[in-house]
Amino acid sequence: MGNYYSDVEGGKQAVGGVQQSPTATNNNNAGHNDAVEFFYRSRGLHQRFARVELSLSAINLRDRDIISKSDPMAVVYAKNIDGKLEELGRTEVILNSLNPTWIEKVTVAFQFEIVQPLVFHVYDVDTKFHNIPLKTLKLKDQDFLGEATCVLSEVLTKQNRSLTLNLRSKIGHVGLRNLGVLTIHAEETVALRRVVEMMLHCSYLDNKDIFSKSDPFLRISRIMESGGSIPICKTEVVNNNLNPKWKPLCLSVQQFGSKDNPLIIECFDFNSSGKHSLIGKLQKSVADLEKLQEGRSGENLTITSHHGHKKVLKGELFVDQFCEKEQYSFLDYVSCGFELNFLDYVSCGFELNFMVAVDFTASNGNPQNPDSLHYIDPSGQLNSYQKAIMEVGEVIQFYDSDRRYPAWGFGGKTFDGTISHCFNLNGSAGSFEVEGVEGNMSAYASALHNVTLAGPTLFGQVIKTAAQIASQYVSYNSKKYFILLIITDGVLTDLQETKDALVKASDLPLSILIVGVRGADFGQMEVLDADKGQRLESSTDRVATRDIVQFVPM
Amino acid sequence: MFSMASSTLEITVISGEDIRNNRKPVKKNAFAVIRTDSQPLCRTEMDKDGGSYPYWNEKHNVEIPQHARFITVEVQCKTSAGDKTLGMARIPVSDFVGGFVPQSYLHFLSYRLRNSNGERNGIINVSVKAKVPEYAASSCSSTATTIGVPFGKTSCYGGVVPGVPVGVPIMKQYYQG
Repeated sequence: MGNYYSDVEGGKQAVGGVQQSPTATNNNNAGHNDAVEFFYRSRGLHQRFARVELSLSAINLRDRDIISKSDPMAVVYAKNIDGKLEELGRTEVILNSLNPTWIEKVTVAFQFEIVQPLVFHVYDVDTKFHNIPLKTLKLKDQDFLGEATCVLSEVLTKQNRSLTLNLRSKIGHVGLRNLGVLTIHAEETVALRRVVEMMLHCSYLDNKDIFSKSDPFLRISRIMESGGSIPICKTEVVNNNLNPKWKPLCLSVQQFGSKDNPLIIECFDFNSSGKHSLIGKLQKSVADLEKLQEGRSGENLTITSHHGHKKVLKGELFVDQFCEKEQYSFLDYVSCGFELNFLDYVSCGFELNFMVAVDFTASNGNPQNPDSLHYIDPSGQLNSYQKAIMEVGEVIQFYDSDRRYPAWGFGGKTFDGTISHCFNLNGSAGSFEVEGVEGNMSAYASALHNVTLAGPTLFGQVIKTAAQIASQYVSYNSKKYFILLIITDGVLTDLQETKDALVKASDLPLSILIVGVRGADFGQMEVLDADKGQRLESSTDRVATRDIVQFVPM
Repeated sequence: MFSMASSTLEITVISGEDIRNNRKPVKKNAFAVIRTDSQPLCRTEMDKDGGSYPYWNEKHNVEIPQHARFITVEVQCKTSAGDKTLGMARIPVSDFVGGFVPQSYLHFLSYRLRNSNGERNGIINVSVKAKVPEYAASSCSSTATTIGVPFGKTSCYGGVVPGVPVGVPIMKQYYQG
């Protein structure tokens, strides 16, 4: 009921720490990879985890070499329920040191709901093995320097996330000698996504339409080892144009794999029947596209005729811009600004809950118009609102137990003709919930048909409603933390109204992520973000307890 | 729910920020006084070395009349001419009573201080909790499993701000001593 403790340790003990009874979930995925993640997600199973990197160092290792010091390497294992050890990773070998600080980190998936015992072994690697790839080193051929064990959550819940353990001999061997200590430091990996952003255009495309010109779009596919190809990306459709220039295209490393992987780029003429005519194609890797941009040259499209002849077409593809960057994951947006790592909430057993509010003001443009920020592209290209809902929602969904969450619109005129600054996106009078990101997307699409864009841009109502929900859950004794995503293109009409609502909400378990799409007045939003240290003040002289807003331009 | 004509509050006067004496930084010995319109409630010790950023972190239990609508916090310092009020803020009782949070919610509140000329003079940070009497508390089951949101690790005093419970995450500079 809101009873608090005067120190962090005491508070944590009251919760019972992170340990929960081991569930039947098997622990084999401790060495996590994207394929596993996809597997679980595509089957609707919610694998709740965060990626953690372990850095290791040791002091006072035993000296096994006669002439020089030991050359230590550490190996990290997960201990399965049946007691078997499964290797998660190993560090590099450091030459000639009894106090190594290894650089190579071992990545572990921290799963909130299960106990994850870890075992660390330190070896002295014999000189004759020094030029062999690490992975192939046979451990039984090396000299064993010591073992340590702990549970992953122990490391994470320590103040500076570092745990120091005494190394000891393997169980069964009697050894009282001091074998030194091992320090394990854990950090959540910043889930950086490497992306490549390109601007492409084509010239001299063939005309596939009879009464007008082609409506070209590009589809990029990745060639699989099996020989088939999977589409990874599509541009928007440019109408009636044989020299189309598309909006910037973004590909993530997850999508194309490596820059040298061959990609098939196909240019189609859009047909509303869905049977698009192929204008031409070419095969290029991301590295090749980068060269095209540097050389400022084009590459001809080709088409294979019925007889199997490959014909070189007049149409050419050009890469006008090519830029590699790193995009942060949503987790960083939430955690920075509070000087708290996302794991802090989660390691105390908090459940994250998502809420979304979408801007329905007229400045977005008529949704029927392809230039509108609310345009739903039949070719499947997502608009900015859909992208924001998807990117943020997909991550939060993981941590939200039932996937149902509130979704609102603001600034639109609803069916009864009145303008609302907080209406249920699903159009229902009673419930504000949507089910999962898909439910959210379809509620959004149908709201675009039923709601007229209006204005002004005001956040106060949505913030108050979100704050009300957050306060109600405080009284239910539940550990829920709420994240409100506001997607807007706008300039706030009443900045003070928003500040007042934010100040009032500032000591609740609520964070607000404002995503600004094209056109938003970022200056105003930066004031609300308060990253420069200016605490928000209400019109009644109350000051925000904390900075709960994070602003991210899309 | 409350006794006769008054309510009990647990107020922690935490700290002040950027408080000046005639535009010059305060050297030392600032203290805070809390009162209702009609009567004084409590005062803190003087912070001997805090200067313009005094840190008291003192918890006081006070009784306020049920009809009170504001409590007032004043930051004062000792001068040769007596106690001088550097800044004052009025805390509406509605900021910690009512609303959707439970009665015993620990509210962290901050307010703009203004001097006798009405000019801005720093910020005061407090926490307030309404004390619910025992017979009412049993129905609220304030069990040990409740916890607020954890702290930032970089908070002052090595990670724990004494007296500021595991509550809402706070930015360290607000509660620094």
